[in-house]
Amino acid sequence: MATARKRLWGVLAGLACATAAGMAAAVQLPNANPVEGLRDNTPGFIALTQARLVVKPGQVIENGTLVMRDGVIVSAKAGGEIPAGALAIDLGGKTVFAGFIDANSEYAQSSEPAPASAAPPAAAPYTPAPQQGARHWSSKVRPERDVSRTLKPDPKKAETLRRLGFTSVLSAPDKGVFRGQSALVTLGDSIRLNEVLLKPRVAQHLAFEMSKFPSAEYPSSLMGAVALVRQTWYDAIWQRDYQAWAQRQSNPPRAEANLALDALQDSLAGRQPVVFSAEDELDYARVFALAQEFGLKLVLAGNGREYRDLARIKAAAVPVIVPLNFPEAPAVEDPERALELSLADLESWEWAPFNARRLAESGIPFAFTATGLKKPEEQFWANLRKAVSSGLDEQYALAALTVQPAALLGLGQRLGSLEPGRAAQLVVADADLFRSDKARIYESWIDGRRYVLADAAAPDPRGSWNLQWSGVQGPATLEISGELNELLAKAGDQSFPVVLDNRRLTLYPAGSLLGQRTERFPVSLQLDGGSAEGRGLIDGTREFRLSATQTAPKPRAPAKPPGVPALPSDEARFPAGEFGRAAPPKVQNVIVRHATIWTQSGQGKLEDADLAVADGRIVAVGKGLKAPAGAIEIDARGKHVAPGIIDTHSHMAVAKGVNEGTHAVTSEVRIGDALDPTDMTVYRQLAGGVTAAQLLHGSANPIGGQSQTIKLRWGEDADGLRFAAAPPSIKFALGENVKQSNWGPQFNQRYPQTRMGVEQIDLDSLLAAQDYLAKPAKGAAPQRRDLRLEALAEVVQGKRVVHIHSYRQDEILAFARIAQRFKIQPVFQHILEGYKVADVLAQIGAGASGFSDWWAYKMEVKDAIPYNAALLQSQGVVASFNSDSDELGRRLNTEAAKAVKYGGMSETDALNLVTLNPARQMRVADRVGSLEPGKDADFVIWSASPLSALARVEQTWIDGRKYFDRDEDLAERTRIHQARERIIAKALPERIKALARKDKKDGEKKDDKPAAPNEEHVHGNEAVQYANLRGPYHNSEPVNTCSAQEAH
Amino acid sequence: MKRFSILAFALISTLANAAGGEFVLSGADLHTVSHGVIEKGEILVRDGKIAALGARVDAPAGVQRIALDGKQVYPGLIASDSLLGLTEVDAVRATVDMAESGAINPNARALVAIDADSELLPVARSNGVLTVHVVPRPSEDGLLTGQSALVKLDGWTWEDMSLVASVGVHLAWPSTRTPPWLPAQAQEKAAEAARRKFAAIDTAFREARSYQAARKQNPQSPTDLRWEAMLPVLEGKQPLFVHANEAVQIREALALAQREKLRLVLVGGMDAWHFADTLKARGIPVILGSSHQLPQRRWESYDSVYTAAGKLAAAGVRLAIANEGGASDERNLPYQAASYAAFGLGRDAALRAITLGPAEILGVDQRLGSLDVGKDATLFVADGDALENFTKVERAWIQGREVDMSNKQTRLYEKYRGKYQGKPRN
Repeated sequence: MATARKRLWGVLAGLACATAAGMAAAVQLPNANPVEGLRDNTPGFIALTQARLVVKPGQVIENGTLVMRDGVIVSAKAGGEIPAGALAIDLGGKTVFAGFIDANSEYAQSSEPAPASAAPPAAAPYTPAPQQGARHWSSKVRPERDVSRTLKPDPKKAETLRRLGFTSVLSAPDKGVFRGQSALVTLGDSIRLNEVLLKPRVAQHLAFEMSKFPSAEYPSSLMGAVALVRQTWYDAIWQRDYQAWAQRQSNPPRAEANLALDALQDSLAGRQPVVFSAEDELDYARVFALAQEFGLKLVLAGNGREYRDLARIKAAAVPVIVPLNFPEAPAVEDPERALELSLADLESWEWAPFNARRLAESGIPFAFTATGLKKPEEQFWANLRKAVSSGLDEQYALAALTVQPAALLGLGQRLGSLEPGRAAQLVVADADLFRSDKARIYESWIDGRRYVLADAAAPDPRGSWNLQWSGVQGPATLEISGELNELLAKAGDQSFPVVLDNRRLTLYPAGSLLGQRTERFPVSLQLDGGSAEGRGLIDGTREFRLSATQTAPKPRAPAKPPGVPALPSDEARFPAGEFGRAAPPKVQNVIVRHATIWTQSGQGKLEDADLAVADGRIVAVGKGLKAPAGAIEIDARGKHVAPGIIDTHSHMAVAKGVNEGTHAVTSEVRIGDALDPTDMTVYRQLAGGVTAAQLLHGSANPIGGQSQTIKLRWGEDADGLRFAAAPPSIKFALGENVKQSNWGPQFNQRYPQTRMGVEQIDLDSLLAAQDYLAKPAKGAAPQRRDLRLEALAEVVQGKRVVHIHSYRQDEILAFARIAQRFKIQPVFQHILEGYKVADVLAQIGAGASGFSDWWAYKMEVKDAIPYNAALLQSQGVVASFNSDSDELGRRLNTEAAKAVKYGGMSETDALNLVTLNPARQMRVADRVGSLEPGKDADFVIWSASPLSALARVEQTWIDGRKYFDRDEDLAERTRIHQARERIIAKALPERIKALARKDKKDGEKKDDKPAAPNEEHVHGNEAVQYANLRGPYHNSEPVNTCSAQEAH
Repeated sequence: MKRFSILAFALISTLANAAGGEFVLSGADLHTVSHGVIEKGEILVRDGKIAALGARVDAPAGVQRIALDGKQVYPGLIASDSLLGLTEVDAVRATVDMAESGAINPNARALVAIDADSELLPVARSNGVLTVHVVPRPSEDGLLTGQSALVKLDGWTWEDMSLVASVGVHLAWPSTRTPPWLPAQAQEKAAEAARRKFAAIDTAFREARSYQAARKQNPQSPTDLRWEAMLPVLEGKQPLFVHANEAVQIREALALAQREKLRLVLVGGMDAWHFADTLKARGIPVILGSSHQLPQRRWESYDSVYTAAGKLAAAGVRLAIANEGGASDERNLPYQAASYAAFGLGRDAALRAITLGPAEILGVDQRLGSLDVGKDATLFVADGDALENFTKVERAWIQGREVDMSNKQTRLYEKYRGKYQGKPRN
């Protein structure tokens, strides 16, 4: 019985809602259209009375009147004065806010498809495809795209957004790197853009978009996307300068037309803002750096994790558009599966609702967007109210929907408040709209047109009523309670449903209440203020009547502003979550005593010796040293101290792709643009004694990108990782990878496909770089800044070191001869057949950095031998071991030990393979690689000989700061365990609710078809293809490598 | 004990002691594994077996004595989850025979595909890996991957090499773990693939059981090679080796073993320590995979893989340590054990986990795995601690026959040393 009743109410409530929408007459905007039929001269002079006016955040007029004429606000004043000639509309005490603006929506995008990329995946070089229009060479660069030329208003979508309170949205172009220019439109229900377009070409929109597998169009990596952005702005500058130059010439050579570069001139000159999307929290720094490089007027399109980098955003003085798409409650219900949840992820769930509050508290201007919500109609207000209940000041929340978006779009004088002169874009709602799920939006106003969702002045029937029946015997009193869309009446001991439809109230008592035998006995009442007149039929034949008076109204009390809850934590760590640091380790003066010290210098290995460190540098190594001022003392009796391990070949801490393998030459891309200081590999390698590493581009193309040398300063941001003293370097590659031998049979097009071609493209590229360096004649046309050639020019100038992936002796020799021709001294990476041409390497002064004993995993390593390093060294080549692996990088010390076994190196020479020699190859040996006075205090305390497989790292120091300590690590594990447990417990109730909702929905699916069999699977190798989607805070699972089993 | 000996490479020119011969190894420290270290001890080898060992052994007069003063003698290392012989150059498909197509291949036999002439074998052997458990791998869809074989790294053919032709059947447990950054569609695809694989495992065991019943009732019923191969597993005569690393996989595999009353060996087992007590209680041994792997999860400590072996050992779980680095890396087996040793397992238990431990799990501890009287004289001589990377393995015997320690790599080394010494290229 109870269930049946519930079902009935549900149906009735649904009926009531269906009729809620309605509208007043339109105001005609001035226009140039011929009149068809009769003229429309409906006056647009309206006064909204009995209204609580929130003029702007923090300024409220209780019981006021808002007057508008022809869609423009005339006044917003206290009191009820209605100007003569105005139509008065009673809002029944409801609250009027300025209409909400979404400053970054995808509203009504008619996707203008990008010109198709003609090339099969990474199989061919870029070849200009036939195209429409004088476009940029890349289909990802379409700044000329103008949404106001293609947008088609979508009344249905507009209504959905109006129901949330929005009256205007910025429709932003949605695809590409340079995406095009947005349009600001109202959410009126016209299907003519002419009527709803407020402003075309509001902003230029950018994002670091990469092509996704299986497409392999440039850019396929984050660093490629950054490089494309940078080069394109330089091209726009060049075009501007070229045109200026051409104007001064009598017969200048014509430069190629390029509408894309034309379209960037407004943004370049600061006349048009640039809205730049930050997909994750590491993008902020990347975006800010680019905006600064080109002097852009920036708006940051954020991602909800701004709380993690507030200081940077604050310092950039840039407004932010933040989404409200909070993460779903994590899957914590299965303990084994819950192992997959990192503390960083759990924290991002816990912190998401606090993001806006943290922005507000930091004084950063921000606007909200509904973009990114899967179901805005359910999630927008739920999440916004969650943000408010998490401590976001309501006035800031309102500002983020009104004055802030108006200001950042440059329309602060026209939109965003109820001040006279502003467009009459209004939303009428309950006063507690921002804090109560029960609050409603009643209507909105756009351009003088009224869009009614519910009658604002409708009487509220809740409370006590006196009833007078005529023609039937009924109860004398009635109590109505509940929500307006789910009311409940009570008379005597009976409860029954009540439906409110506008001003008509229908009661559904059981017939017995009125002495009838019918099951239900509908009584219909017309409400008029506090009284009502009603009627109905008995037995379907005889009318009865009812007169009712509300004796004690009980409307819903507005929810009180919530208190400000505590933040989940007062402590910010970087990286967030596990093993993050609350503060960088202090620089400490330190003396390590009584250790076996591997100096890797002329001092050799010292027993029972001391190491003195002050101000981040080594002061002295020797016996019985004087402690530097204020030094802490470490008793290292029985322990070994050695220089920090240096890895010439690592791909750790690189976000979203280590290969820009789409073109054969990509020297413009920079690993340094894509650093990921949240990569746990950094910390794990500290625990393996690594203190510095060269992060290399992969080996997918003959000339890859620029490398980044780092120190493993875990807890610092990207800039903090950079090893400033290291000279720039670049990755080249030879052999099977660059000729795509192991990529699959379809990869047989891109030049080069043979070692013959590899040699020629290297030669040609370096010759091009030489040409680039040639000085232009005086008065010549402005030279285009070509970042690709610029990096190669640094190579031929000897300023940028080439690290070249190589295996076979033929290719090594071929490049050695090129190097000789250009007088460069490369370091050969891998170089597993280096032992066959050690004499040549010695002759040209090349370095050799390889694996200890990897072999046989592909054809070009079939002759690899573990004696390689010993033979190379015997011929005078500086040799080293590297990892090319996040895993191997953790134990390079024992790799070095293998050189003792294979070829009989001395212990010291063996350890040099991973300390001093890599430092020499990276041209940083004056700073690191050995323990000598004056060098950086980068050292490791080992429990035993660093060459022993049984040794553990106890401490790792960089620049005189202790970045790893095994004891502290053990304590941190306890903290992580407790924090995970706490948040998992907190998430469980919400997760269970979500699962119940999902079960219900699954149950409601009528035709639950079995999933179609699908022959495709995601397996290990395929997952690697998606690796460039991997955002920060991942598990540091190995996806980045250029050699081991090959990143195909 | 001096570990950092800097010995010039010495090619062993003559191989002494063919099988059937009799000789004494003397003067070396004997790492018996089963009963400690006998310092400066002696081993008498006769007919390929250890006839006696101790501080001194009674040897017939005139028997050949091989002086190994200052050296260390160990039982041959056992690679307990290997691909040796099934692959030569991983990137070249023509040289790879490790995974048969399809999901259900319990009848596939690793033994018959082992290339006795693989260049990779002598390289592994020269670092003391003398016995190898060769295990078939799953293809894309693979579940029951086939039967593994135990071989010695000596012999003209796989038949010569064979010690145990079929050790057991291997099941690659499907993973439900996908990187969270995969697109939702790919996640769903992976989940669906896993669901279908689970169903296929259930079906395989049901069908094998029905075959078992049919054959019992009528031994003349037609042969099905697949289900025939499953009979020893279903009857508990052979173990089922389940390859599983993740907690969810292990949980499900344990449930299957209980349901089907199988003798389970867990292989891989990164998360096995979560189940240490269960494994101990149910007597399920673990062939633990490489220590040289990254932690699976961001929150796990940097040493979470390294400490796994110590946790299992502390709970009393029977343990072997394997090297999952691939066939060309099999020589580095002892260093996989060493990293476990450094983080809680300890040196002795680590050595055991690559000698006697796998011998027990693979059912050959009566013949292999320790220096004990009656066991095969399969052993090697090193100049130091076998767990250390800098230690050189100098000589080895397999069933009493001394093996050649040269290999392709030592030959290339000699050849190019010659280049720099001005020798002509030959």
